[in-house]
Amino acid sequence: MFRYIVLEIRRTLRDGSFLIFGTGMPVMMYLLFTNIGGGNDVDGWKTASMVGMAAYGALGSAMSIGTGVASDKTLGWLEQLRVTPLAPSQAVVGRAISGSVTVLPTILTVLLAGGLLNGVRLDAWQWIALALLLWIGALPFTMLGLGNGYRLTPQGTGVVNVACLMGFGIVGGLWFPLELLPGWLRSIGRFTPANRFADLGWATTEGHAPGAGTIAVLCGWLLLFGTYAVISYRRSARTV
Amino acid sequence: MELTGVVKTFGRAGHSVRAVDGIDLSIGRGETVALLGRNGAGKSSTVRLLLGLDQPDSGTVRVLDRTAEHAVRDGLVGAMLQDGRPIQRVTVRELVDFVASTYPKPMPVSEALALAGVSDYANRRVDKLSGGQTQRVRFAVALAGNPELIVLDEPTAALDVEARRTFWDSMRAYARRGNTVLFSTHYLEEADENADRIVVIDRGRIVANGTGDVIRGSAGRGLVSFDLAGGPTEGLERLPGVVTVEVSGDRALLHTDDSDATVRELARLDAIRGLQVSRATLEDAFLSLTAPTAAPVSDSERETV
Repeated sequence: MFRYIVLEIRRTLRDGSFLIFGTGMPVMMYLLFTNIGGGNDVDGWKTASMVGMAAYGALGSAMSIGTGVASDKTLGWLEQLRVTPLAPSQAVVGRAISGSVTVLPTILTVLLAGGLLNGVRLDAWQWIALALLLWIGALPFTMLGLGNGYRLTPQGTGVVNVACLMGFGIVGGLWFPLELLPGWLRSIGRFTPANRFADLGWATTEGHAPGAGTIAVLCGWLLLFGTYAVISYRRSARTV
Repeated sequence: MELTGVVKTFGRAGHSVRAVDGIDLSIGRGETVALLGRNGAGKSSTVRLLLGLDQPDSGTVRVLDRTAEHAVRDGLVGAMLQDGRPIQRVTVRELVDFVASTYPKPMPVSEALALAGVSDYANRRVDKLSGGQTQRVRFAVALAGNPELIVLDEPTAALDVEARRTFWDSMRAYARRGNTVLFSTHYLEEADENADRIVVIDRGRIVANGTGDVIRGSAGRGLVSFDLAGGPTEGLERLPGVVTVEVSGDRALLHTDDSDATVRELARLDAIRGLQVSRATLEDAFLSLTAPTAAPVSDSERETV
């Protein structure tokens, strides 16, 4: 399985447009949003936005794995894998791990831009915890992207991914604060995966550990999306 | 390798298609066998059952004394599937190296590359190759794990003559190492030239099974054709030596085991008009076997893997 992970990571990292848009876009958006008003740091906006954009970028990269999987399916590569001794569970887990590794560059570049260009100051442990938590926290989205990829066509996966990304971003309070939403939506928002995901980062920059509720909600989503990915994989294996 | 009474139906009730309709087939260790049939005859469906990609509705599939999935999981099978296209951003060597690493006892990567004839472009990306090159890379993928059984589903479809020849050279080199090879094709000459045995499939059933010579003989070794000139067609199949009868337009085509006897009887009946007698080719036999009224023939008694 290790070799499979290496192969898939290699394939992803050679994809120039994925690296530029997956990594470059969140950084550009972050720098734009935080410097547009003359570059003054109001109430830790540069820090909060750094977390928000790193989370948003991680979310996008994690889900974009689905597009790759969907195109592998179209090419017959998933079927070819099934006639090698690699077990189906290893194929899914391996793809999830390789997908989550390729999320790292996105997170790291946004954090680097925050630290080096925007002068965000955090303790060393906070930087490390932030990167690690955002990385691990992206796993439910990787599973969701995988599930879409195993189930849908490449085009379909792209559309569904963008819809999910925007939906999660808005309802989860990544685009603008949750307080601006109507009350009923606000209470739902607290349980959406993207909101809890970003909360991992916000908790860290505020200097405390994420709440047990946050972790429980994310684990629930991981379980749900993970099941979805496995079921989709089984379905994709069948003819007609 | 053994299939017993295998049936596979696709589609919903009411619109179902029996892609595989009761196939019994054994292939011995070290044999090279061709599955020959028209498009849609059930070749690919049979191959998918053998590889454990699909489950039969009834009947059993055993590969090297275990289920198809186990044979694949144990690294005993390598396959080249139909419609497999190159994946992006990976070199030939990386791809073959990875596939080999999933098998318990792979052959050295350089050997796999050489056998498939892809050493010259091992460092090029798979998605940047020509059709013939891609096909040989897929062959390298199938044999990289040094499996006992290799299954090739229409390996030369869409290849030009030159690419097909080099492909079969590689395939025969691999078979000579004592490996079992099963390939499907709709090219008669390919089956005849490259296989020890040909299994003709039509509408999900095996209609003939044997060497090229046996197949040629199965539908009658001679062909006798003549103008009917409005004469009756019934009774022709009862003429001496006649195996099958085809009528196209006003002309009758008799597949016969004894063309001399057939012609003598035709002369006695005063039915000789525009008579032609020729030896049956494999193509004649194939067409006759897969005609709507053809009856199954078989000669095979072989040990099973």
